[in-house]
Amino acid sequence: MRAVIFDYGAGNLHSLAKALEGDGVSVEVEADPRRAVEGDVLVLPGVGAFGAAVARLAEGRDAMRDAILGGLPTIGICLGMQLLFDASDEGPGAGLGVIPGRVTRLVAERVPQIGWNDLRLVENEPLFVQAPLPIAYYANSFVCRPDDERTVIAWSSHEDDRFPAAVRFGRTIGVQFHPEKSSTAGVRFLHAFLRESAGTGAIR
Amino acid sequence: MLTRRVVVCLDVQGGRVVKGTGFVNLRDVGDPVELATRYEQEGADEIVFLDISASAEDRGTLLDVARRTAERLFIPLTIGGGIRSADDVGNALRAGADKVSINSASVRRPAVLTEAAERFGTQCVVASIDARREGAGWRVHVRGGRERTELDVVEWAVECVRRGAGEVLLTSIDRDGARTGYDVELTRAVSDAVDVPVVASGGAGTAQHVCAVFERGGADAALLAGILHDGVTTVHAVKQAMRDARLRVRST
Repeated sequence: MRAVIFDYGAGNLHSLAKALEGDGVSVEVEADPRRAVEGDVLVLPGVGAFGAAVARLAEGRDAMRDAILGGLPTIGICLGMQLLFDASDEGPGAGLGVIPGRVTRLVAERVPQIGWNDLRLVENEPLFVQAPLPIAYYANSFVCRPDDERTVIAWSSHEDDRFPAAVRFGRTIGVQFHPEKSSTAGVRFLHAFLRESAGTGAIR
Repeated sequence: MLTRRVVVCLDVQGGRVVKGTGFVNLRDVGDPVELATRYEQEGADEIVFLDISASAEDRGTLLDVARRTAERLFIPLTIGGGIRSADDVGNALRAGADKVSINSASVRRPAVLTEAAERFGTQCVVASIDARREGAGWRVHVRGGRERTELDVVEWAVECVRRGAGEVLLTSIDRDGARTGYDVELTRAVSDAVDVPVVASGGAGTAQHVCAVFERGGADAALLAGILHDGVTTVHAVKQAMRDARLRVRST
């Protein structure tokens, strides 16, 4: 199985690549958004700012959106999750628009949110059944506000602001936290996603 | 809600973790990758590599260390020491750091914080501030604490955040290495003044000191080094003391 990380700028992709690697999984890093969708799994990593990222995405946006809506298993991490939505208050430009909704700033005294935060998992979500993740590492100022809360498969709260920790749209997953920085349980979660994408795990 | 973080700091020089006091009597205590992953297993929430190398040549080695570490460490890694420009920040991030701390360079040219934040996001820009008590307040020092500036620590912390820092790493020079407890007043003054997380550093001698800087200092994270490396206590014991004090911690 080929997992392709779309590289839309600077940032630490080493931990993510190593966390994804495993039995029968090869990992590639691809800067061209049109070629990034040619693998078996697409990974949108979580580095940088929304405006800069959508600028890098622009020329391949429609191809990537079509591929995801066509069933390409995809995981968006932090900013990568935010790219799955329509637009962001952080910067100009169109997101992928796979999940209807908008990205807005956390409503809290201390922003960015940096550190380990609890997850409240939605019952019977296959990924969390396989890889329970009670707590995960976050480093973000913005969060996703989906139009339809039924897409949310886990919630977290920063101070009084409740926000989606994870969303699902078919075979596409978005996580606001960094699984590759959430120690052993986070790495297991990524592997559960890959197993599901390979068709060897439960798919809803 | 966020848990309070226990951050483990390793001083790195020439690709090895070293230990000593005041840049003298340094001795080799191990491989950074091995030590960082061992502390992850013990329950550390984050790792900091502080580059104490004097030469540019040694700095290149640290990026190589970061690269090897990022492949095996699955908790956040911060790199600090000798970062001068947004390009330096970019190189450290590409090598495997999740956050980069900037100290002396931001005092010389505060715009570096903004440049780094605009390119890489505020969440990876850490303002590292070395504070020494002076009268009723604290004065910012640079160059590893050797050079005094005219800056007031609390005012400077606010300025760093305004310019783009997403976290403040606050070290008390007076307490560093003394093991008499963190400067709780200093931590409280800064954490009340800024709206980003504050990492308290300098002075940890016991697990109770760690609890105190969270409870009374308002710190979001506490940095530990010597007492862990010397085996005075363990990450596990510190977290148990925090739990007993009803502080929220990540269990492992």
